Amino acid sequence: MKQSKHARRMVLVILLIYLVLVGGTAASFRADAFPRPTWRSVLNGSWCTQFERYLNEDIGFHDVLFRIKSRTDLFIGEKMIQGVYVTDDRLLEKLYAEEAPAPESLADPVNAFCAETGLPTYLVLVPSASEVYRGDLPANAVSDEQSSRIQQIYSATASGVRCIDAYQILYTHKDSYIYYRTDTHWTSYGAYLVYRSVIQKLGFTPTPYERYVIRHMTTSFRGDLYAKTLYDDVKPDLLDRYSNEDGAKITSVTAYDADGDAADRGTVLYRESALSTQDMYRYYLGTPCDKLVIRTDVESGRKLLLYKDDLADCMVPFLLEHYSEICIIDLARTGARYRAYADPSAYTQALFLCSMERWTDLW
Amino acid sequence: MYLSSFTFTVALLPALLLCYYLVPAKGRGAVLLVASLLVYGWGSPARLLYLAACICYDYGVGLLLEHWQEKKALSTGLLAFSAIVQAGAMTAIRMVAAGGTMYPFGIAIYTLHGLGYLIGIYRGRYKAAARFGVLALYLAFFPALFAGPLMNYQEFTDQLEDRRCNVIQLGDGLALFIRGLAEKVVLADTFGYMYRELRQTGTLSMLTAWLTTLSFSLYLYFELFGYSEMARGLGRAFGFDLPRNFSQPFFCTSITAFMQSWNITLLLWFQTNFRYFLFGPHPRRRWQKYLALVLTWILIGAWYGTAPQFALWGLTIGLLVTLDQTVLTPLFGKRWLPGLAVTGILLQFAWVLFYADDLGEVGAVWRAMLGLGSGFVDQTGLYFFTSYIALLLLGLYIATDQFRNIAERLSATAVGRFIESWQPVLHGLLLVFCIASMLYGERMTGLWLHI
Repeated sequence: MKQSKHARRMVLVILLIYLVLVGGTAASFRADAFPRPTWRSVLNGSWCTQFERYLNEDIGFHDVLFRIKSRTDLFIGEKMIQGVYVTDDRLLEKLYAEEAPAPESLADPVNAFCAETGLPTYLVLVPSASEVYRGDLPANAVSDEQSSRIQQIYSATASGVRCIDAYQILYTHKDSYIYYRTDTHWTSYGAYLVYRSVIQKLGFTPTPYERYVIRHMTTSFRGDLYAKTLYDDVKPDLLDRYSNEDGAKITSVTAYDADGDAADRGTVLYRESALSTQDMYRYYLGTPCDKLVIRTDVESGRKLLLYKDDLADCMVPFLLEHYSEICIIDLARTGARYRAYADPSAYTQALFLCSMERWTDLW
Repeated sequence: MYLSSFTFTVALLPALLLCYYLVPAKGRGAVLLVASLLVYGWGSPARLLYLAACICYDYGVGLLLEHWQEKKALSTGLLAFSAIVQAGAMTAIRMVAAGGTMYPFGIAIYTLHGLGYLIGIYRGRYKAAARFGVLALYLAFFPALFAGPLMNYQEFTDQLEDRRCNVIQLGDGLALFIRGLAEKVVLADTFGYMYRELRQTGTLSMLTAWLTTLSFSLYLYFELFGYSEMARGLGRAFGFDLPRNFSQPFFCTSITAFMQSWNITLLLWFQTNFRYFLFGPHPRRRWQKYLALVLTWILIGAWYGTAPQFALWGLTIGLLVTLDQTVLTPLFGKRWLPGLAVTGILLQFAWVLFYADDLGEVGAVWRAMLGLGSGFVDQTGLYFFTSYIALLLLGLYIATDQFRNIAERLSATAVGRFIESWQPVLHGLLLVFCIASMLYGERMTGLWLHI
């Protein structure tokens, strides 16, 4: 009798849990995202995979369940959530490359570009926050070292390639707000500090910091590391816009896709609408595209060919002060086909600006 | 689809149980067969082809063996042929398809089930299946396909005919399933993650070597034990009573005790179906007994995987059991502490054979475990030691089965009664935590072994 009562309660509790889960899932049901089965997709297994992905992302109380697990892990002594170290002040991704390519192979693309085009070529590899804030990682935490790897790549570049040591600049200013606390990117201020050195190497005088009016576009930016961990004990970030009233004016912004089809984006660089989405970092250059050509009223006639990943997005406004045209090629989208997007002979300088992590993955 | 997959736990399991209990008793066998095929073919229906071929083959050969019961030469030849063909096909498929999406997981389970079925008919222990569907369900029975427990055909059919499906079975079965799921997704996956991370770092201090081996052994234990318990839980919810597959193999005071408590139904299968053909059920001479024991363990090792190191692990366990029975047990007598220490240490060294890629790595890890590697501690080892010491101790504690002992001791007290009355809620919370852990995803591992 007692056993029967006990078993009945067990069934009721579990039934209740399932009902709550089904209710939560039904409430957030997205008909457009739900995979429609076809005979073909069922037989080749692709529908099952899509269904599993849908269920995983759209299960009721997804975030609550995720936090239950991550908080429990932290409670029992784990210092990491989904490959991201959790510290008091910031989230830091774990850097890990199973088999890091040889420095020579990572210098080859830029060496070949320089040799074949004869264009003055510059290389800036930007370390991750985890490298600059290595001292803040949990005790004994394992994370690949980037600064020495960057130096090895710089040493392997040809004599025509000029390299700029972003690590030293950033490390010197590590007590300033140079990296987002909840995102893998650097802040506009971090980008500005490196811009000052880069632009000098490129032959210009940097715009002084005092000339800029800085506006906090949002004070509630939670970036990609937050999205990965849902850890909200770290303060949200500020997303800043640096404006120089006396600076260059943008005359056109044109985006190109992989097929070369152009889309006119007017004369606006920033995308206010991104601030109301999850991916606020898109505020700087808008929706990612393979190639973006920005023209300004600068009459120097100097044109820059910029090969970059999205880390460079918040540095572009600073660079625009000096060029009549910047052609931006997104290496993360084009991969090894990056050379097909622009004719280097139409430009005066080429700059490769990329995070070290992306650079390693690219080649 | 694995029993520990998110989709199974949150979608298929409740739907299946609902369907099973709503259908009249007569149709429940069919529901189970359809569910087994659905779970097995999920994501790759082509996987069903080999299973279907095995069912057809075993059904046909079973009828022939029964028909040739009196013609021993013919039936022996047919049985030997079937054993070679099925074991050969299993090995070839495991070697070729391992790791691919088409891999017919559970092949090592249903091949042994099929062979056991044929051997049973050959030895006249039972009759061939009269109904094709019954044999199909026996071979495709999805709860046991992942890591067992292995079942005897006769026991299975007896239970199929006489199973009781009521709320007690369902409640108990769900509780058992949830505990098994927790062992798999909370403990095994975390230890598996720890093992993978430690192994990737490449540094081999004494601390890292011991942590790697310990995390691997705990991972493997909770992986297999978790799946076995989930199978028993589901079995009970469907009205079956599947045998227990592990019985506290950690903290054994002798290697023989470890042998008897690790994957029990697998050992029993080999004792029943393999040793019988070597020297009969009861070998007369001691050398026959130990030879049969070592050969059995080589085959058990080879059952876990086709790479040579698995057979080598089996050989090592077989030799250690022989050493234990001839030297260690007489030496230690009733003193349990030296037995516990020696057994624990020897087994940890033996596990290295199980996970290492080659003998070179085995030698390197053994040297490091003895303090002859890259020092005594390193950064990686320290990080994992400080981060996971609580979980390691918890895992070791749970592996001793002390929870159950404590619960039994407390059951007569007021505290025990209070805990017992809250058992349904505790299991509910554990289920929520398991779902959260599965959602977390990163550490999820399918069965690392290609069973």
